[in-house]
Amino acid sequence: MSTSAVENQADGRSTEDLRAWLTQCVALHVQLTPEQIKPDVPLTDYGLDSIYALTVASEIEDHLGIDLDPTVMWNHPTIDDLVGFLTEPEQTA
Amino acid sequence: MTGTQPPSDAAPGPATAQARLAALDQRLGDPWDSGNPLGFTAVLEADERAEMFADGESALDAYGLNAEFVPVAHGGRLTRVDHLVEIMRTVYRRDPCLGLGYGFSSFISSVNVWTAADPDQQRQVAAILLRGGKIAAAYHELAHGNDMARTDFQALPSGAGRLLLNGRKEVVTNIQRSDAMVMFARTDARQGSRSHSQVLVEKDRVADGKMSYLPRFASAGMRGVQLGGVEFRDCPLPEHRVLGNLGQGLETMLKSFQITRTTLVGMFTGALDTGLRTTLRHVHDRRLYGRTAAELPQVRSTLAGVFLDLLMSEVFATVSTRALHLVPAETGIYAQAVKYFVSKTLIDAMNRLSGVLGAHFYIRDPHSTNAIFQKMLRDIQPAGFGHIARSVCQMSLLQQLPLLARRSWQPGVPAPDDLFRLDADLPPMPFDRLAVSAGGRERLSSSLAAGLQALSADDPAHREVRRLAEGFVTDLAALAEECSRLPVTELAVDASSHSYDLTARYTTILVAAACYETWRHNQHHPDPFWRDPTWLIAVLHRLSAPAGAVRAPLPEHIERHLFAELTERHEAGQGFGINKNGLPAG
Ligand SMILES: Cc1cc2nc3c(=O)[nH]c(=O)nc-3n(C[C@H](O)[C@H](O)[C@H](O)COP(=O)(O)OP(=O)(O)OC[C@H]3O[C@@H](n4cnc5c(N)ncnc54)[C@H](O)[C@@H]3O)c2cc1C
Repeated sequence: MSTSAVENQADGRSTEDLRAWLTQCVALHVQLTPEQIKPDVPLTDYGLDSIYALTVASEIEDHLGIDLDPTVMWNHPTIDDLVGFLTEPEQTA
Repeated sequence: MTGTQPPSDAAPGPATAQARLAALDQRLGDPWDSGNPLGFTAVLEADERAEMFADGESALDAYGLNAEFVPVAHGGRLTRVDHLVEIMRTVYRRDPCLGLGYGFSSFISSVNVWTAADPDQQRQVAAILLRGGKIAAAYHELAHGNDMARTDFQALPSGAGRLLLNGRKEVVTNIQRSDAMVMFARTDARQGSRSHSQVLVEKDRVADGKMSYLPRFASAGMRGVQLGGVEFRDCPLPEHRVLGNLGQGLETMLKSFQITRTTLVGMFTGALDTGLRTTLRHVHDRRLYGRTAAELPQVRSTLAGVFLDLLMSEVFATVSTRALHLVPAETGIYAQAVKYFVSKTLIDAMNRLSGVLGAHFYIRDPHSTNAIFQKMLRDIQPAGFGHIARSVCQMSLLQQLPLLARRSWQPGVPAPDDLFRLDADLPPMPFDRLAVSAGGRERLSSSLAAGLQALSADDPAHREVRRLAEGFVTDLAALAEECSRLPVTELAVDASSHSYDLTARYTTILVAAACYETWRHNQHHPDPFWRDPTWLIAVLHRLSAPAGAVRAPLPEHIERHLFAELTERHEAGQGFGINKNGLPAG
């Protein structure tokens, strides 16, 4: 019965919104434009450091109102992986 | 000492931590007695030769110090990490080279094992330590310093359940004389946070010709500690020598180093204790202008200030060490704050003491009564850069500030009382509950505002505590406001120094909260010094100076109070830290 965290959003944010938000979040930190971040390239290749990735996990938690393992970005190192994981049905709020 | 000889009377050792501490103290004897083979003269002679202090190592073998690093479940004596810190302080007071080179480096590697390894590996490591062996913690490579994610040393899977070791580790304590090494290695050629693992390498299983040692690195301080390096060439290692899962290395490091970073600086306070005692002895003996140097107000003021810094450091380190047992999910924050704050406080205090000793701090003759000071001054420096640089701790805190502001700095549930109650027992160290990140959640800073409600409006001392403490409560609110607006660009390594300073403000609030809450929760303490709020007022006063500003002197009556306590402890031969008579019963 449960749906993904993304669909659970009261304001009905879509997967694409999540992708754009995540890309923006990372781009700001590594001082690139969102267009420069390719969705299938590991974010560490753009200079996202491992420790900051833990902080981004908390940002995602607050953005989506869910609990995540802090190492979520270590285990899902590209934007595609991450969006895929966050939109799995198990990721309930 | 390669650990092939079982220590004579290592196990099981006296039962309680208090008894063990007393036994160790007694075994080491009076440091100032020039006839004591374990005294400072002998310590200094070994240091002059850049050798480990052999008689000291034998005494620690006989005491069975390694058993203190091994959890009771594995046959050792480790239950409470705060007890370990107090026992190690005794060693650091005598000789920091023994602290690091006999003990702490094995503790670092074994904590990795208790945190992440499987039961078989844990049994093996316990066995090595309990028979008096050493285990090096081989993390560092000269090319990368603190940047662990760039580690090049390889243990890459090569098929058939094997890894191949290749590359170097450099400037590592005991690497040559250790029986085994926990090595931080790249187990995946790709960049990323799952590309590293710790591997356990037992020397006697390394194939011939695959491993060689690099020449020893000489050092300015910790001169006896054997800093070395190792190089591997295509050395096979079974994959089951990985601690935990392949790729878990960074995670294990971030968890287990919360324990070791918190405790390391907690132990280093022992070096300042000796520095302060050396200086006190000197100023009481030294006659100038027809009186002793100890009678000069300026000298007293410096000594009282150093005593206060030592107390404040130990209170903060103690709360953070107790946190490892009680609130392990939060210690990702406290460990960074302790390493950042306490190391600098200790080193600054030693520097001020050197000013009081004057030319006498420069004397190196092992037979001179003050020569131990110059050794302590050199040996204390790694508190700041060793096992992670202070500024890296600052960076990690900085990255979490906006999150902390949002998640933790509003009034909320305070930290548990037992965090501060010095006589409250602690559950065994929950290695399995350490979290890779606190996620911006801690309860120490907001405990301060909640705790202030306990103050009486009628008592003038309480009013003074409130006046000073409210400054930190106000600053936390201002910090929350400022940090919630910090742009993401200010959270990376190229952040401005203004942003770095925000972490200094935050850390100061944590220290103030730890001290206030420790005072409030120990109103039943048997020693009136801890019940009286004067030490707390002094701490709050001291912390109130903005970072970098010249500190205003403490009010005279407070300085007198501290100096009287210091003198009393000195005359009674007691410790200058949080436990003047060793560990409290309980
Ligand atoms: C006595 C002694 C014993 C040792 N024992 C061991 C051991 O047993 N095992 C082991 O593996 N290693 C050991 N080492 C090595 C030691 O841990 C390393 O030397 C140290 O961690 C790396 O320090 P570095 O100064 O080279 O760091 P670097 O990373 O080169 O840093 C240099 C400076 O750059 C700045 N900086 C770096 N990163 C940041 C950042 N993120 N943000 C802001 N500023 C930054 C800081 O000012 C820092 O001090 C030992 C060293 C000594 C001296």
